Amino acid sequence: MKALGSSGWKGPVKFRMPTAENLVPIRLDIQSEGQRYKDAFTWNPSDPDNEVVVFAKRTVKDLKLPSAFITQIAQSIQSQLSDFRAYEGQDMYTGEKIIPIKLDLRVNHTLIKDQFLWDLNNFESDPEEFARTLCKDLGVEDPEVGPAVAFAIREQLYEIAIQSVASARESRLSKKGRRGSDHGSASKASGLSMDLVKLFSFKSSVVRKRKDLDVYEPVVDLLTSEEVDALEAREERHAR
Amino acid sequence: MAAKDPDSGGSGEILPITPSLSETTSGVTAASQATQPPSSSSDVDTVYVPSYSRWFTWTGIDDCEVRSLPEFFNSKSTSKNPKFYMYLRNSIIKQYRDDHPRKISFTDVRRTLVSDVVSIRRVFYFLEYWGLINHSSSSSAKPLKWDEKSAGDASSEPPTTAKETAKRICNGCKSICSVACFVCDKYELTLCARCYVRGNYRVGINSTEFKRVELSEESKKVWSEKETLQLMEAVMHYGDDWKKVATHVTGRTEKDCVSQFVKLPFGEQFVKESDSEDSLEAFDQIKGSADLESGGSDKEGSSPNKRLRLTPLADASNPIMAQAAFLSALAGTKVAEAAARAAVTALSDVDYEAEKNATGDPNRQDANANSGGEITNSERDWADAKSLIQKEEQEVEGAIKEIVEVEMRKVRDRIVHFEKLDLEMERSRKQLEDMKNLLFTDQLNIFFHTRKARKSEDRVDVKT
Repeated sequence: MKALGSSGWKGPVKFRMPTAENLVPIRLDIQSEGQRYKDAFTWNPSDPDNEVVVFAKRTVKDLKLPSAFITQIAQSIQSQLSDFRAYEGQDMYTGEKIIPIKLDLRVNHTLIKDQFLWDLNNFESDPEEFARTLCKDLGVEDPEVGPAVAFAIREQLYEIAIQSVASARESRLSKKGRRGSDHGSASKASGLSMDLVKLFSFKSSVVRKRKDLDVYEPVVDLLTSEEVDALEAREERHAR
Repeated sequence: MAAKDPDSGGSGEILPITPSLSETTSGVTAASQATQPPSSSSDVDTVYVPSYSRWFTWTGIDDCEVRSLPEFFNSKSTSKNPKFYMYLRNSIIKQYRDDHPRKISFTDVRRTLVSDVVSIRRVFYFLEYWGLINHSSSSSAKPLKWDEKSAGDASSEPPTTAKETAKRICNGCKSICSVACFVCDKYELTLCARCYVRGNYRVGINSTEFKRVELSEESKKVWSEKETLQLMEAVMHYGDDWKKVATHVTGRTEKDCVSQFVKLPFGEQFVKESDSEDSLEAFDQIKGSADLESGGSDKEGSSPNKRLRLTPLADASNPIMAQAAFLSALAGTKVAEAAARAAVTALSDVDYEAEKNATGDPNRQDANANSGGEITNSERDWADAKSLIQKEEQEVEGAIKEIVEVEMRKVRDRIVHFEKLDLEMERSRKQLEDMKNLLFTDQLNIFFHTRKARKSEDRVDVKT
């Protein structure tokens, strides 16, 4: 175990989503002509650019939005994609990071709260598979929950990946030449990550402590329509 | 609701399928794969599936799916696998059938499926095209115009399938190219028009390296006059280099060029002279057999086919020969034997020129009978060009003869000259010999005389 800990530092990897499919979470929130369109989905950045316009047109047609939305949607998607692509050439340090991912979302009438650990180093991880299994296991009936869960996970992974790029850049700029423990401290400084060493050292056991059990348990609530309305009103107030 | 009348204006027959509305809930749809739908009660709506989509099953994947959506089947990514494709497809169809006859929109679907939206869109469009979702018998309007190979059975063809066998998938956007393609032979890339314009290709490649290939025209078997003209020019220039020929002829692949060239009733200039007559026969015969159905005479119809098989086999360097060899291989040994025998006898009897004209005429007549006076014009042009080339050949032969004669004369003169020289040499040698002899006799004489003189001196001395 100790040996594992000491070999904790890995070389930098090219930026990408730390999942099997390099998919980008796209969030849209467009307001125009008195109508508001909010959406969130995942996009494959290696798809050709004409797909953006096709998607925008189709969405506007399906939702019967005014056609001014087409360009706005397309632009928003494009800008998020180009942000993602801007990160792609750069290095990121992943380290031996296991991060907790928190879910706290409301999709139509279903409320999900959950927290679980995710291995950032596992580049074969699949949030979509996780979301599908979660919905199946919890007997979630609303089919829109799955994509929302997958999206939430991806968003958080994206955030952390961006942070690791930023920290890699910082450490390269500020401390040229010194390595190893510095990266460890940089990753710890992000606050949320845990070291494998700490987790799996011979002193602690793999079994979770009792007080953490509630935190790490998924909770699914079905709300009534009034509760949904109340929550929506509260969210809008917060947004303003 | 009562079942719809199946004959209401749909294209092709339509099969009713009873869905299992009562069985599954939409919640499970997103998470699990669909199971076989059991037959349900008769008071449920019937969903109509067009006959060209009868390949569809819940648990299987058909060939046309693999072809149209190759991204799921080429194992380039671990999560885009056939199982995932089936999840998407089955969920979409189930959702549609749950809410049938309301048309399902793409946005409805993509909100409920856990995947990246572009994959969902592709599967959705595919299913819509094949009438598995949003199909209504009243909307016999043309589905999306895609180039697709027609599926298995002869009857199961989607409405707008062209006869085209080749299908082009763009390397850049992985969608099927419909209107025009840009092909780069150097790197073996095919890009659809959009990707080409956007520059969606690798960094090292120039836009000039791409050749435009018109797909809508490619599907037609008929060669326009312009194309045939280009083909002839190219073949004259480049001879056997079919790659260059294909680049010269816009919009046709190498294979097309070769097969079209073979079909032309004119091409002996590109074959070795010894084989010219045989291959000439072959071209006429191929053309003859192609026009057969429009009424060439029977005798000429059958013997052309036989003669076709006579041409020398397996000369792979010449594509025409190769094609003839292939056809003879197709025919089988017994037939080929009989044909060869008949052909040999026929060849020894018949005059080639007459035969050529005879098959040329019915060809021209057939061409006239066919649509397109353009074909007749080009036929006539080919015949004219043929005769012109023959004249040229003869002229060339005459010129060569003259040259040869002049050379011969030169050589003869030289020989004569050398003979004269030789004679001179002989003469002078003889003279030399004579003189040598004379000299020798003189020497002898002198010798004798001196001896005599000495002897007489001795006698004188002795006397005194």
